[in-house]
Amino acid sequence: MRTGSLAALGVVLLAALAVGSVAVAPGDVLGAIVRGLQGRVEQASDVIVWQVRAPRVLLAAVTGAALALAGSAYQAVFRNPLADPYLLGAASGAGFGAAVTIVYGASVTWLATLGVPTVAFVTALVTVSLAVLMARVGGTLPTVSLILAGVVLGSSLSAGTSFVMLADQERTAGVLAWLLGSFAFANWRDVLVLATILVLAIPAGLAARRAFDLMLVGEASAKQLGLPVERFKWLVVVIATLLTAAAVSVAGVIGFVGLVVPHAVRLAVGPEHRELIPLSILWGAAFLVLADLAARTVLAPAELPVGVVTSLVGGPFFLILLRRSRMRA
Amino acid sequence: MSCRPWLPATLRSSLTWLLVLLLTHGLAQGTVTDDLGRDVTLDVPATRIVSMIPTHTEKVCAIGACDRLVGVDMFSNYPTEVQALPSLGSAFEADVEALVALDPDLVLTDEYSGLHDVLEPLGIAVYVGTPQTVAEVWEVTRDVATLLGLQDEAEALIRDAIARVDALSERVALGNAPSVFVELDPSPYSVGPQSYLGELLTLAGGANVVAAELGAFPLVDPEYIVAQDPDVLLLLDAPFGESADTVRARPGWRALSAVAEGAIIEFTQPQVDLLNRAGPRLPEALELLIDVLEEYRR
Repeated sequence: MRTGSLAALGVVLLAALAVGSVAVAPGDVLGAIVRGLQGRVEQASDVIVWQVRAPRVLLAAVTGAALALAGSAYQAVFRNPLADPYLLGAASGAGFGAAVTIVYGASVTWLATLGVPTVAFVTALVTVSLAVLMARVGGTLPTVSLILAGVVLGSSLSAGTSFVMLADQERTAGVLAWLLGSFAFANWRDVLVLATILVLAIPAGLAARRAFDLMLVGEASAKQLGLPVERFKWLVVVIATLLTAAAVSVAGVIGFVGLVVPHAVRLAVGPEHRELIPLSILWGAAFLVLADLAARTVLAPAELPVGVVTSLVGGPFFLILLRRSRMRA
Repeated sequence: MSCRPWLPATLRSSLTWLLVLLLTHGLAQGTVTDDLGRDVTLDVPATRIVSMIPTHTEKVCAIGACDRLVGVDMFSNYPTEVQALPSLGSAFEADVEALVALDPDLVLTDEYSGLHDVLEPLGIAVYVGTPQTVAEVWEVTRDVATLLGLQDEAEALIRDAIARVDALSERVALGNAPSVFVELDPSPYSVGPQSYLGELLTLAGGANVVAAELGAFPLVDPEYIVAQDPDVLLLLDAPFGESADTVRARPGWRALSAVAEGAIIEFTQPQVDLLNRAGPRLPEALELLIDVLEEYRR
């Protein structure tokens, strides 16, 4: 399954590189990739494929992988099927930071200098840290308090975002487009930053596969079986938050991937994390690349916000999966 | 059985005439139909007016009734004298109490603001409708003028404006149309030819790289813009921090000829207001576009 999924992701990546609102012959696509890897950009199609399209495709891939990994980790640690990477307020925090920067960047120079991704990353981290501080009791992180603190902080910040959006109607569409997520101006630097965090997080996620299984049994049993539960929860929250904040800061708030991809994998291969973690990463990447491919080709050369596609297409798809698995059972 | 008309033709035509007569009589001076299809009637011309969107403010002043304004929204900043008026928030988040306290007899707002639902039960006449095209600028100007009893002033204004537009378009007749990408914000949202700004661009002799079928305000795939390689980029988002530098830093955009030629226009906030507001300053907005495109017309 893992090898097959990896191969499928490869095919999806190639397809996404080959197709776009501008038609480029397959030979030119391959040529652009080969020349791009050598650091050469020679013809017009090289600019399209290597400088515009390739970072976009790869950013969608690493974002999807990051969100699905964080989502599957949260669902295990919080033993909550509704858990997603945004549970502790990372998305609302990032959204608020982004909205403030987009709307007030013109008058507040330092905001504009930092730029939307940096501000969004910082506000995401600050929000989750606040939730953790609020929920913390001594060295422990009671799960229910943590979720409540995250959800409440998230609601407050979402209200703040709406307020900021309405404060300047000329910027409303811009903020909304950011909130719905976009890979339109993905660049190689964003890809490298997120890929670096992902490369550090993936081994951690894979190494923790047995610990995630233990958490499913319950915190008390996990502790009896030798898992340092509190330390593990802290570690997961820190890594998942870094992943989510980095993903959201470069791609906006893309819903659904982190929630539904792990469930889809679970329906396909069961709840054990030995398969669940690696497959979530691969499927998350493939799903978001396909969603972005649809976003930029369905109405080409106009675009749909990619977050709209993930929810519109992902929702019914998941319901069908759910229905099928229930009928089998 | 063949289908016979239920009334003889002569009777039908006289009934039609009667209907027309009744309708036109009902639409006495002081009644207009707004953008939601509602009839707005005033028995006497409005003298205490609140405008909740900048284009209405500009229209009221352009027909010489600036002194009848008693309050405006926070975005109304032209002409400068309106800045001294009480600010009532935005059309979508209006300070209704302060608005009602001003005791207006007419409120001009946007069709989606919902203000008419709140204000009309209080006995305040509300006209809704933001012009979205060049033709609508004149239609809405006529409507507002009717409610103010200033039809002659409006006709003079419109005649004058159309004459200026005609004169300006002679400048455009010479030379080839440069291809243009209009950037409303860095998402990037743009404008289709059927939008107000798109119409202005066409009148100004610019060839919009965004086609009509994409809609009036499409979100555009950047790789399409790179492939179109427009001659000129118009940055209406320059007041929000976009510039020739940020455009050059976008992946792949360095290759654009507009970037190489420096054909990137960074509009100022007053210029963006002028271009965005479909109102009586239309000829000025058109002239601004013609001026900035001048050197790229070959």
